[in-house]
Amino acid sequence: MQDNGWNDFEIGSLLRSFNGKAENIATTLQEDRNYSNSNSFTASVADWRIEKPVFNKDFCIDCQFCWVYCPDISIISRDKKMIGIDMDHCKGCGICVEVCPTNPKSLLMYGEHEDEESILAAWPSKDKEKK
Amino acid sequence: MLEIRWHSRAGQGAVTGAKGLADVISGTGKHVQAFAFYGSAKRGAAMTAYNRVSDSEILNHEKFMHPDYILVIDPALTYTTDITLNEKDDTVYIVTTHMSTQELIESQPKLKGKKVFTVNCIKIAQETIGRPIPNTPMLGALLKVSNILEIDSFKESMKKVLGKLPQKIIDANMIAIQRAFDEVK
Amino acid sequence: MRKMELKDIEVWDGNMAASHAMRQVQIDVVAAYPITPSTPIVENYATFLANDYVEGEFVMVESEHAAMSGCVGASAAGGRVATATSSQGFALMVETLYQASGMRLPIILNVVNRALAAPLNVNGDHSDMYLGRDSGWIQLDAYNPQDAYDLNFIAFKVSEDHDVRLPCMVHQDGFMTSHTAMGVKTLQDDIAYNFVGDFKPMNDMLDLDNPVTHGVQTEEDWHFEHKARQQNDLMTKVYPKLQAAFNEFEELTGRKYSMVETYNMEEAEVAVVCMGTSVKTAIEVSNELNAKGIKAGVVGIRVIRPWPFEKIAEVFKDIKAIGALDRSAPHGTVGMLFNELAGSLINSDSNAVLNNYIYGLGGRDLTKKHIYSIYEDLLANAKAGKLTTATQQYIGTRGPKLEFL
Repeated sequence: MQDNGWNDFEIGSLLRSFNGKAENIATTLQEDRNYSNSNSFTASVADWRIEKPVFNKDFCIDCQFCWVYCPDISIISRDKKMIGIDMDHCKGCGICVEVCPTNPKSLLMYGEHEDEESILAAWPSKDKEKK
Repeated sequence: MLEIRWHSRAGQGAVTGAKGLADVISGTGKHVQAFAFYGSAKRGAAMTAYNRVSDSEILNHEKFMHPDYILVIDPALTYTTDITLNEKDDTVYIVTTHMSTQELIESQPKLKGKKVFTVNCIKIAQETIGRPIPNTPMLGALLKVSNILEIDSFKESMKKVLGKLPQKIIDANMIAIQRAFDEVK
Repeated sequence: MRKMELKDIEVWDGNMAASHAMRQVQIDVVAAYPITPSTPIVENYATFLANDYVEGEFVMVESEHAAMSGCVGASAAGGRVATATSSQGFALMVETLYQASGMRLPIILNVVNRALAAPLNVNGDHSDMYLGRDSGWIQLDAYNPQDAYDLNFIAFKVSEDHDVRLPCMVHQDGFMTSHTAMGVKTLQDDIAYNFVGDFKPMNDMLDLDNPVTHGVQTEEDWHFEHKARQQNDLMTKVYPKLQAAFNEFEELTGRKYSMVETYNMEEAEVAVVCMGTSVKTAIEVSNELNAKGIKAGVVGIRVIRPWPFEKIAEVFKDIKAIGALDRSAPHGTVGMLFNELAGSLINSDSNAVLNNYIYGLGGRDLTKKHIYSIYEDLLANAKAGKLTTATQQYIGTRGPKLEFL
C-alpha cells in the first residue's frame, strides 16, 4: 500500500477483504482464503506482544471459552478441538488465560523469549486449594 | 399580463382555487403562475394567494403586484385587512358577502368609486357542496365578471382538475360554479 | 406497477415537479424526515409508492441526520436513492453529507432552500444552499418548477455515472419555486426513465461474492489522497459529463441548460449575477431595460459546485460592472457569489467593477424595483470605472440604507 500512487485505490472510502471473488467463504479455512492486502489477516501484530500465551493440550477440555473470548480471533480451533494459537495475530492480551476454567490452566502467559519445551516441562500442577 | 390577488383564510381553499384556475387556463395554451403568502399558516389566519396569466413565459417572481382582479372569499377580510393594497385605477373587486354591492360599499367606504361585484360564495358553497369552501364558486363569479374563459368549457376542465374527488362533490362544485356565475352582481 | 399519463404541460409547483421526476426514475429507497417547505416532495413520493406507481422503499426515520444516514446505507448497498430537505433539516444533515460524498455515493438530494434560524423562519433564502457548498456534492440550481423537474434527471444521470459517482443536490427556492404552480413541460414515464437509464451498481454491499467494507478510516497516510481524488474528479470529470447530459437533454426536449446561464449578455455593459427565482425576475427587468437601449444583462449560476471558474471568466470578459446578488447572510464578510466572482476574475483580463448585494433573507420579496435600483448602481460604476457605492449593500431592509466596506 505504501508504494501505491496517489490515485491507486478504488473511489469511495472502501476496502476489499479478498482478492477477486469470495465464493463459499464460510466453508473455507482462513489459511485457504484469498485475503487481500487491506485485510487485517495479512498484517501481523506479533511484535506488539510482550508476553505470549502457551497452550498445554494435556489439561484442555475443549470448552472453547478461549476461542469465544479471544478479541483477535487468534485461537485456532478445528471441529471444536483447540489446536493452538495464531501467533501472527495474537497481541498477548491474556484474556484466553483469564477465561480458561481448567485446573491447572491449559493456557498461561510467559515471556516472549522463553522456551516452550521448558515451559511445558515445568507446567504447574493442580492447585489443591482451589475447587 | 393578467394579475389576480385572492384574500382568504387558510383552509378556505384560495390556494387550491388559484392552482385550479391556473390549471384550467394552462389548458388554453396560456402561461400561468399560482402562489400564496402563507404567513403563520394556521387554519383561519388571513392569507393571500396570487395568479398571473400571460401569453408569454412568466419571468416575474416578485410577490409584489398591482392586481387586475381582487377576489375576497371571506366576508370579514373586507374589514380586517386592506384588500385595496397596491390597487390600480381599474382594479376589479369581487367580494363574497351576504350584502348587496351597495350595502357593502356603504359598510366599507374604501371601496367607494371602485368596480365592485358581490356574490355570496359562502352561502352557495354551503347549499351545494355542504361545506363553507368558497373557492370554486368564486371562480364562477370571476368568469362572469372577467370573461377570461367560457363557462361551459371551464366547467369541463374543472371537472378534470377535481378528478380525484368523489363524483358527488364534483357535481356539487359544478352547480356552485354555475350559481355564482349567475348570481354575481 | 402502474404508469401515469401526463399532459404535455402540467401545472405543477416545484415540489410536485421534483417528486414526479423521482417517480419517473424509479428510486429504490427514499429515507426522509419531512420539513417545510420540502415536505410535499417526499409526501408525494410516498403517495406514488402507496398507489403502485413506484417499486421501492420509503423509510421513515427520526431525524434528517438519520435520513441521510439511511440514504448512505441504501446507496452503499446498491440502490438508486434520493431524498429532500430544507433549512434546519439540511443543517442537521451536514455531517452525513460529507460522508455521502467521501464515500462517493450518487445520492440525489432535493434541497428546497429556506432560511436558517434564529429567528425561526420557514421562507426561502439560500442560507442552507451556502452551508452545503464545501461538502463535496455537485450542486445544481433551479429557477422555476420546470428547472426543478428537468435538473433532477440531469442530476441522476451525471451523479450515477461510474466516472463521477458523486452525490448531487438540486436546489429550488422555498415557496417561490416549491409552492408556486406554473406550467411544466413533461416527459412521458418511459422517456424520462430511459434518459437516466437503469441504475448500475458499483462496489455495492449486496454483491455478496465481492465483499466490501464501506466507510473505512484513513489517517494522515491516505486521507489526503482520498480528498485530492474527490477534488480531481469534481474539477475534471463533472463538467464534461454535465455538458454531455445537458446536450442529450436538449436533443430530447429542446430545453437547453448551461453551467452559467446568460441573458442579454451579448451586448451587455453591466450585469447582475444571482440564483433561484431572482434570475427570472432579473431577466424581466433586463428585457425592459434593453428595450430602452440600456445594455444590462443577467447571469444565472446553474452549477454552484463545481464552480464554473473558466466559464465565468469568459462570460464577463467585456463587462464593465457586475453586481453579485447573494440571498444569504454572509455574517462577517462579503457574499459567496462576490467571493467566487472575485476569485474567478482576479487573474483574468476582466477589469470589471464588482459589488455585492445581500437581499431577500427569510423570503423578503425581491421586487423589480430593487433590481432597477441595482442596475442604476452598476451603470454608475461602469461609467466611473470604479465603485460609486459601498462594496456591500443590504437591499430591502427597513430604515436607512445599510452598507458595508
